[in-house]
Amino acid sequence: MSTSTVTATAVHENLLEFLSKRAKSPWDPEQDLFASGSFSSLFALELVMHLESAFGIAIEAEDLRLEHFRTVGAMTELVLRIRGRGGE
Amino acid sequence: MNERDAAALVADLVGDRAGEWDRAGRLPGDVLAELAGKGVLCAEVPAEHGGLGLSSVDNGELTAAVGALCGSLRSLLTSHGMAAWTLSRFGNAEQRATHLPRLTSGALAGVAFSEPGAGSDLSAMTTTIVRDGQSVVVSGRKVWVTGAAYADLLVVFGRHGDGAAIVVVPANAPGVRIERVPEPVGCRAAGHADVHLDAVRLPADLLLGGAGLPVTLLATAALGYGRLSVAWGCVGILRACLAATTRHATTREQFGVPIAEHQLVARHLAELHVAERSATHTCAHASRCWDAGTPETVEATLLAKHLAATAAARGAAAALQVMGSAGARDGHPVARAYRDAKLMEIIEGSAEICQLALAKHAIAEWT
Repeated sequence: MSTSTVTATAVHENLLEFLSKRAKSPWDPEQDLFASGSFSSLFALELVMHLESAFGIAIEAEDLRLEHFRTVGAMTELVLRIRGRGGE
Repeated sequence: MNERDAAALVADLVGDRAGEWDRAGRLPGDVLAELAGKGVLCAEVPAEHGGLGLSSVDNGELTAAVGALCGSLRSLLTSHGMAAWTLSRFGNAEQRATHLPRLTSGALAGVAFSEPGAGSDLSAMTTTIVRDGQSVVVSGRKVWVTGAAYADLLVVFGRHGDGAAIVVVPANAPGVRIERVPEPVGCRAAGHADVHLDAVRLPADLLLGGAGLPVTLLATAALGYGRLSVAWGCVGILRACLAATTRHATTREQFGVPIAEHQLVARHLAELHVAERSATHTCAHASRCWDAGTPETVEATLLAKHLAATAAARGAAAALQVMGSAGARDGHPVARAYRDAKLMEIIEGSAEICQLALAKHAIAEWT
């Protein structure tokens, strides 16, 4: 997905699939990842690496804020915003 | 300089002096200056910042080569490399451009996580990093910071608001006091020290990104590099043990034959070989994941660290058994391996902490 145009729908679907697989049940896009307490710090790191490798982006230090990773919608926005900056 | 040139440079500089450094508890300043000055101690830093730009796979083989010669130097390379990695991951472009070229041109760095009351449970950290206008103020006490006795920079983790932060602390800043750990059981020349931070006031631009994230998240990201580096270092320990024991067992005669012909000794050699090969393959897999940037890296790194550290501790104990009195003095490569390997089961996530995480992974994957 790193070279072609990435749509919000594609990112959204990809993240739902990734999270549902991890949670072993359908993931609610509005669900707060960190409120449930079911995900570890190791998982958070896996999530960052998934976003970077699946969408060909580099998440810079200034983007490493919990609010960017709280929901599928927030992560989708983050991915599109970084890709929109170009040069990634 | 590629990985082989770097390994050759290290071999040349270390020569047969690692035992002497171990007994003295010091690495020579000129050796550190040369290796740090050429970027060998954080070899994955890209060329644009003066580094060698090695892949994790190649840096892993370099780390194993260093680890086979001198556990203390390898331990320093792990900490310095982890400091550089933490700066790469959490520094902004300006911070990377400021600090990384220093780490590839001679400055040495350590990473400060542990505290008297916060080891495996890093969330119990009490060191504080407080923003005060254009400054940050760092207060607390860190323990067992590898390389701190040699360091010019310390990458310090602490509480920050509701979460945590990482700050770059110059070792010579007012309020920093570094106190060597006297006579550590292993990696004796790695410069382990306690770091006292007494209201150290620094410019706010030394605060790295990610400030406010949970401490476990920041530490987990930084420790990933350290764990993989320790794992490769353990491959080196096993290789040093194989070199010493195979030579000894084929030349030392008892009951009229080389001791390698005694089946109980041969079994030790076989198990050492299995340990070295399995640790190498597991580390290489984790490094390939690291180079590809896939999420699998996280589990593969934990697996490599745990497997290699326990294999090195068990393997070094068996190697000393094979060596007998020939290896039973401080400074001997196998005696060093025996003491250094035990520390590898403790640092960068103890064997038990790795097991807890690996158990969760197993349950997630198989249920």
